[in-house]
Amino acid sequence: MHGDIDINIEEISKTEGHTGLEVKVRDGKVEYVKLKVSENKRFFTQGVIGKKYFEIPSFISRICGTCSIAHLFACIEAVEKAFGIEVSEQTKIMRKLSMFGLMIRDHGMHLYFLSLPDVMKKDSIFEIGEENPNIIKEAFEVKAAGNLLCKVIAGRAIHPTFATVGGFLRIPKNDDIKNVLEKLKNVRNNVLNLIEIFGNSSLFFEKESLYVALCTPHFNFLEGEIRSSDGIIIREENYWNFVNRVVIPYSQSTAFKFTGKPYRVGALARLNLNKDELDEDTKKDAKKYIDKFPSNNIFDNNLAQAIEILHCIDSSIKILESFEFKEEKPISFKIRENEGIGVLEAPRGTLYHMYYFNSEGKVKFGNFVIPTAQNQIHMELDIKDLIEQNLDKNKHELQHMIEALIRAYDPCFSCASHFLKIKWI
Amino acid sequence: MKLKVGFFSLTCDEGCSVNVLEVLNNKYFEWKNYLEFVNFRLIKSENEIKEMDIAFVEGVVSTKKDLEKIKKIREKTKKLIALGTCAISGPPSNLRNNFNEEKKREIKEILEKFGFLEKCFTLKEVVKVDGEIPGCPIDENKFIQLIENLIKNARRY
Repeated sequence: MHGDIDINIEEISKTEGHTGLEVKVRDGKVEYVKLKVSENKRFFTQGVIGKKYFEIPSFISRICGTCSIAHLFACIEAVEKAFGIEVSEQTKIMRKLSMFGLMIRDHGMHLYFLSLPDVMKKDSIFEIGEENPNIIKEAFEVKAAGNLLCKVIAGRAIHPTFATVGGFLRIPKNDDIKNVLEKLKNVRNNVLNLIEIFGNSSLFFEKESLYVALCTPHFNFLEGEIRSSDGIIIREENYWNFVNRVVIPYSQSTAFKFTGKPYRVGALARLNLNKDELDEDTKKDAKKYIDKFPSNNIFDNNLAQAIEILHCIDSSIKILESFEFKEEKPISFKIRENEGIGVLEAPRGTLYHMYYFNSEGKVKFGNFVIPTAQNQIHMELDIKDLIEQNLDKNKHELQHMIEALIRAYDPCFSCASHFLKIKWI
Repeated sequence: MKLKVGFFSLTCDEGCSVNVLEVLNNKYFEWKNYLEFVNFRLIKSENEIKEMDIAFVEGVVSTKKDLEKIKKIREKTKKLIALGTCAISGPPSNLRNNFNEEKKREIKEILEKFGFLEKCFTLKEVVKVDGEIPGCPIDENKFIQLIENLIKNARRY
């Protein structure tokens, strides 16, 4: 039993973006837990002001190197809402497919490369691969299938080039579709294995929590209504009225509460609130594991991600097998002075972009709510509880448990740090 | 002997690192006999910066810590390759260099509080750079070509 512990991790590895952690325990009581986002700000909130509406989607997607498609579409949706643009059915389907591709490769990266080493008690996927070369092969195959889906539909996986305000600049070719279909079908079994691994993992940390997610029909991540596990239902454009920004003086990121309470967003929240909308084949083949939800075990966030990969594969296969793509141009439109709001489910949770445009279509100001910033307060509370429950462990073990807990959230500190004006008082 | 390579991120969105992981989807099994990943924080615990043959660095130098890190990397590596637009020419991670007075005033406190430098620098403004892979994120084919040339040259000697 340890009375006093000081933990100071300069940089937590295997997370997207940089963060540090400082913990002080005295006489068996946690005095503080400081998750210090050390990702250096690049001041996008200021940078976006004065830019024209057509410049901002590709500009703002540079916030994040892994979920850029989510930022791109949230921004495009905000522009379209501001100017009253209604896009074609085909555009909606292509956006859905791009989101599915994003989830497959982004969740794939997180599960195999960042979280699996925790489950298997190894330092990296490369170490796991020394004993089990099959798993690393499966990892790369799943990621490659998601990557290809993004490439064929949106141009590329990171900072894609075909998606624009009003539609897509290029329509996929039949040969490419055939190729993607084959790849997606080939990796389905890999994902069932992945679900087994995370479904049977012994990692466990439970805490009664509040969950918030955009609940979408057919689990499409794009359009729907925001719901909370305590029964609140909100239209996308009203989300800002329900969240409270909290300044964290030691961090380069700010944090959020929902109606004054700490909350969790992300795959766990989506499965807890919207699992009925998953694809039918996914529901059939992953039933045993889907039945675990609703869950309060944060490590089930990773199981939820694995189930979402399967859902994205199954949904994409159905669309690609039945939909006939035809040549079409992006919708033309008139700009006007207005505000526009785009909300969607990014891989790590609910993402909100708001812009106010002047009559020339230039941004007067922007406002954003980022998934990782919404989880920040809950992460700190969880770490505090985890430490208090495990004071009998040595510092090294404890540190490892904390890092695994943080990684289970799949935080993205790149995103978390780049928005918001912080006034230090 | 395997070539010791390291991947490092300064101030940026890590899109180039993520893209390297995407390249590995198809190349890992071909390359793993020739490359040893000595540093790659995105996928393994960050150990101290050790001697290496090639360091790949993305991002701009925006803080004092970035500056210390890039100097340390330069000391430890035989070759240093800048990855992507931020590292090579600055944007968009060097946004603040071109802010007007009002925006500069707004961010001043944060800059002071978190140890930012006066402005953002590209890699070649602060250390010697031996090569560049352009793009945002990096041009995959150029990256693959560079790695394959390095492997070929290493095998020749």
